[in-house]
Amino acid sequence: MEKPGLYTSIQDLGRIGFQDAGIPFSGAMDKESHKIANELVGNPHHYPTLEITQIGPEIRFEGTGQIALTGADMAAELNGKSIRRYETIDIKNNDHLILHQSRLGCRTYLAVRGQWQTELWLNSHSAVSNLSSVEGIPKPLKALQCIEVSTPNFIPQRIYPEHLRPVFSSCYVLRVVTGPEFEQFGIEQIQSFFESVFTVSPDSNRMGYRLNGTLENYSTLREEISSGIVPGTVQITKSGQPIILTADAQTTGGYPRLANVIEEDLSIVGQMKAGDEVKFMLVGLPDL
Amino acid sequence: MKIRPFGESALLVSLENTIDPVVNERIVRFYRKLKSSGEFTFLTPAYCSLTVGFDRTKFTIAQATEHVKTLCEHTDDLAETESRKITIPVCYSPSFAPDMEEVAKHTGLSSEKIIELHSQTTFRVFMLGFVAGFSYLGTLPDALHCPRKKTPRKSVAKGSVGLAGLQTGIYPVTAPGGWQIIGRTPLNMFDPARPQPNLVFAGDEVQFRPISPDEFKLIAIKVDTGIYETEIEYA
Repeated sequence: MEKPGLYTSIQDLGRIGFQDAGIPFSGAMDKESHKIANELVGNPHHYPTLEITQIGPEIRFEGTGQIALTGADMAAELNGKSIRRYETIDIKNNDHLILHQSRLGCRTYLAVRGQWQTELWLNSHSAVSNLSSVEGIPKPLKALQCIEVSTPNFIPQRIYPEHLRPVFSSCYVLRVVTGPEFEQFGIEQIQSFFESVFTVSPDSNRMGYRLNGTLENYSTLREEISSGIVPGTVQITKSGQPIILTADAQTTGGYPRLANVIEEDLSIVGQMKAGDEVKFMLVGLPDL
Repeated sequence: MKIRPFGESALLVSLENTIDPVVNERIVRFYRKLKSSGEFTFLTPAYCSLTVGFDRTKFTIAQATEHVKTLCEHTDDLAETESRKITIPVCYSPSFAPDMEEVAKHTGLSSEKIIELHSQTTFRVFMLGFVAGFSYLGTLPDALHCPRKKTPRKSVAKGSVGLAGLQTGIYPVTAPGGWQIIGRTPLNMFDPARPQPNLVFAGDEVQFRPISPDEFKLIAIKVDTGIYETEIEYA
């Protein structure tokens, strides 16, 4: 890692089952892109990838191996020549990879074929953004840090079908189901939640996406007693502003939970960046 | 008891909306029962609710709801589950208690009285949350009621013991926060190297034991070298 980029961390499918100890879920923000990247290098889905946020790193490879890039387009260059996303790429000793800034989409995933020899904590390699000061927990990557991956053998090149690749834009519609406190909101607030176009605040990160825009005539509901949170929970703050809680969110919160982004659309949330527009669409729960 | 879907692969089990040890004890029993069944992906117990994660490939929402309901209904007849009482040494001296004066002013009590009330009450761990298992303990004697700080601190030292409303809590790691800090424990409430990183869990009892700055240093050394034995009573 010659330069780490804006925020680059190792992520996998996260830590599920430690929430009773107050430990966040973590894991890739865009799990779809993470999984596709792993498939392209013949790795199982739970293997780690590098999650690269908005401004990419510079990486020097020692030895040979295979990589794949998915997610946001950061105009990747290998030894000065541009390379494609969504296909297996062979790496030679001393190859140099540069990722630039993403114009559409927020996160790129870099998979490397083989076993990653990186720190494992509670069954996961994922860094936790708000515990980066704590010794013994995987951390975001720093300049000159070295990651070791042992590549067992090479696979024939794989290409992910073009028509299945996600297309990123700067405005999204997210499907949500009703949240636990939905019924406590008035019809006016609910209508304004579904009719408004919100914009993603620059104050958004792996813990949560703050949206600019407030529910009309919102006055705080009764004070909520802290209760559990799942990825995709949409909370409404005291000022009526929605926050979508994401991978590194704390496990409990005290704001009313109006809605929950469906799991399939959580990968879209992971690709939203500051200034993007977002609208919510209510869908029903399956098999009730 | 109310059970409703929470997203597509979790349920929210909730009881009366209140902070009450009796209600929380029922939540802890649900939590322990569901945990021991080994059938759920994650569990997040809180004051009066329990979030239950399930695997969508194994249960539909309706099946998961039915199953959780059956398991929870059969907790009241369980024999008393094992309870733990953990003694946590706390140094209340001014260098660790930046908000003692503010609390004294607000409550009209002397710092000696605040320490006495705080260390003579047996607290219940209602839940963990916020960051890496911050423990929410209650309930404080009314006399110690004190609002959060108007402006939260950007950084509260690891081990800090604070007050907020009728709650007291321990910062497991250095983190931002708005609780009124009246002391600090030398214990590692959260240690990633332990198989179970957290020292306390929902349903545990906690009592604070006042220590001097010298004892703080001594315990800190014992903790660092791994020879400190946490005082835990099993009932």
